Formats: sequence, C-alpha cells, structure tokens
Amino acid sequence: MRAYLALVWAVARKDLMVEFRTRERLTAMGAFAVLVGLLFNFSMDTAVVRPQDIAGALIWMTIIFGGLLGMGRTFRLEEEDGALTGILQSPIPLDALYLGKVLGNFVLLSVMTVLVFLVFGLFFDLRFSGSSVTLVAVVALGVLGFVSLTTLFSAMATRSSMGESLLPVLVFPLLVPVVVYGTTATDRLFAGRPVVEVGGNLRMLAAFAIMFTVAGAWLFRFVIEE
Amino acid sequence: MSFGLEAVGLVRSFGGLRAVDGVSFQLQRGQLLTVFGPNGAGKTTLLRMLGGVMRPTSGHVRVAGAPADVVSREWRHRVGIVSHQSLLYSQLTIAENLLFYGRLFGLTDLKTRIPERLASMGLSDRERTPVRELSRGLKQRVALARALLHDPEVVLLDEPYTGLDPHASAVLREQLASLKDGRRTVVLVTHNLKQGLELSDLVAVQVQGRFTSVTDSLSLNLAGLEALYHAAVENPA
Repeated sequence: MRAYLALVWAVARKDLMVEFRTRERLTAMGAFAVLVGLLFNFSMDTAVVRPQDIAGALIWMTIIFGGLLGMGRTFRLEEEDGALTGILQSPIPLDALYLGKVLGNFVLLSVMTVLVFLVFGLFFDLRFSGSSVTLVAVVALGVLGFVSLTTLFSAMATRSSMGESLLPVLVFPLLVPVVVYGTTATDRLFAGRPVVEVGGNLRMLAAFAIMFTVAGAWLFRFVIEE
Repeated sequence: MSFGLEAVGLVRSFGGLRAVDGVSFQLQRGQLLTVFGPNGAGKTTLLRMLGGVMRPTSGHVRVAGAPADVVSREWRHRVGIVSHQSLLYSQLTIAENLLFYGRLFGLTDLKTRIPERLASMGLSDRERTPVRELSRGLKQRVALARALLHDPEVVLLDEPYTGLDPHASAVLREQLASLKDGRRTVVLVTHNLKQGLELSDLVAVQVQGRFTSVTDSLSLNLAGLEALYHAAVENPA
C-alpha cells in the first residue's frame, strides 16, 4: 500500500512541479476566474438581485468553466515528447497513474477555487455567516467529483482526434449532480442556514466523488491502453 | 535450447488492418537484432508490443525459455525503450526526469544510481539542466540513460538516430555499442541500413507487418543488405 501511494504521489508531484514552474494552467484558470467575476459584477443589477442569493450558482459555474480550461490539458505534458509511452512502459499500475493525475488536478483546482471565492467575495461583497468547515467540505467534495470525472475524460479526449473540444460535451451531462448539490449547499451556507440542511447534499456530493473516483480508476485502463 | 528473447507469431490488428502479421524471431542473450523496413511496415508497433505498451492481438513472447506476459508489470521491469521521441519532460531537469522514472520503477537507490547512469553517458555535469535546453543529441543520451536506469535485460531502440547530426549519431552509436555487453538482448529499428548493420548480429526486413527474412549479419555487407532490403520492399510476397 505504501509503495502504491508513493507511485500516486510521484505522478502528482511531477505534475505540480511542472505546473508551479510553468504556471500554464494556473494562469489560464486564474485569469478566467478574475475576468468572469469582473463581468458578473458589471452585468448584475444589485438593486434587483442580491448577489448573496445567487453566489452559489455563480461560484460553481466559474469553478466548472475555469476548471475545464485547466483539466482539459491534463495529459498535454505527456503528449509533448512521447512521455506517455515512457509511463505506459513503466510498471506503474494504471489506476495509480490516474489517481496521481486526479491528486495533482485536485490541488490545482483547489488553488483556483480559493481564488474564485476571493474574487467573488471582493466584487460582490459577500458576507458568509454559515459553517466554514462545512463550506470547505462541500467545495472539496464537489471539486474532487469534478476532477475525477474530467481527468478520465481528458485522457479520452487526448486519444480522440477532436481533442479538448470534446471534453465539455462529454463532461457536462455527468456533472449535473455536482452542480445541483454543490450549488444548493453553497447557497444555503451563504444564507446562514443550519448545517443540518446541507447534510443530504454533502452525502450526495461524497457519494458522487467516491463513485467518480472509483469508476475513473477502473475505467482509465480502457481509455489509456493502446 | 532457450533463447534470450523469442517472439512467436506476434500479431497486432487495428480493425481489419494487421499492422504486425505473425512476426517470429529468436535472439540469444546478448544479441542485437536490427529490423529494417519502409514506413508503415509495423516496426514501431512491433516494438510497442515487445515493450508492453501495446497488447498483442495474438502470439507470445518467451524469455530464457519461459513465457512472458508483455503487458505485465514484471515484464516492464525487464524492458527499456528508447524512441525517436525522448519520452522526457522538457520542463524538468535531467535529474528530475530520471528521479521520476526511477520512482515509477520502484527503485530505491536512486541517489547513487542516477549519478552512475549520467556518468556513463557523459552527462555528470548537466544533471540540473532542464531537458528543454539540451540539444537533440544530448536528449537522446538522457533518453538512453532513462531507458537503462532500471537495468533492463531487453532494450528496444526505435529509430534512435532520428534528427541527429553526424557527430551526435557517432556519439550515440558508441553508447549503443556499449549495450552489447553480453547481458542485454537488443532490438533496434531503423531506416538507416549502414548504422543498423554496424551494430547488429541479426538483421530482419519487415514489410507489410511480416518479417520477409531474418539473416545473420556476418553473412551480409552493406551492398548485400541493400539488395536484400530493396528486393523485400519491391516484392513483399
């Protein structure tokens, strides 16, 4: 088990090392988050709509669209000079490769998510009076479900002639549960409702995160093997 | 008699196309087989199957007389691949690349192993150089160091000379010649008849997925190989 986790960490560590060196994906996702926050800020009439009431939807849409920018490039590194062949020739189990990719993506998207909350908090003067720990759990589970799914489909898109343009078409229909439960829970927490009211959403988010991760780890070999 | 590496009836189909069509060969431990063939003959597909990257549709491989599952983790520990692509991450340094691949192979003595491999390739002073800053020739030497890091007994070389200038080719040729140490069995795929013949013990010509001949290289000179190659390509049946 320890050796397996070391393999997962080796893949994630390499991805993060490259990303924090080049900042390609983080820059794209971060710029998107700031620009979307800015556009929403200008496009919303706060005399009619209270930002507080729709913050959950805006935040989750920004995380998902911005996240797709970065997640779609998950295997770009491996494509550059045939590195995927090098990895596939190594004895790493393919599910460990997948989980390493998911872990790396999870860290990157978490960084972007923190930025999204900061941007929206700043532009919309959002006041949060709910349980911070519960909000972190909601976001973490939603992000895990999202990256588990997009990592798998990113590998599929890499193998396809349509490339990254295929990713949204494949991913959006399956993301509906994450959007529904994530948005509802976030809205309720921003409205200061008691934690018990988001218990069901949390359990559903956890179920989808686990299901997507386990299914992704199992299906990955069929996607990546030649 | 058991062979270092033996392929028996290897086939790989893509839909209705047989990219590799019943390839068989036998290599003694320490021998080097060079496979020549035109573009699209299935040479790279053959190497990808032998390297465990691709599952054969049918056929099997034996090592030292024992059947080997080419897509198993055990087999991958025994094989190293060098391709015309470096298989390296350009944003990482040479040492970081080797460290990453070493971890994937579960190697625990990387602190000593990496400097040794780099020294054997004449790269000791460059371990902190990002791969993107290397010339094509140096990249191929790092690629060879990467492929040999886990000390494989079978080495597969897919067009390793591609894009190299004459000097870099000569340096790489010396490095490849050092693979003939009696311990490793090597399969080299190349278009270059002269370079391929220099190192080989056996030569094969692959056309339309099939080996049309497997010949002892001692019985061939360059002119003979050229005649053999052109005859095979022009009359594949």
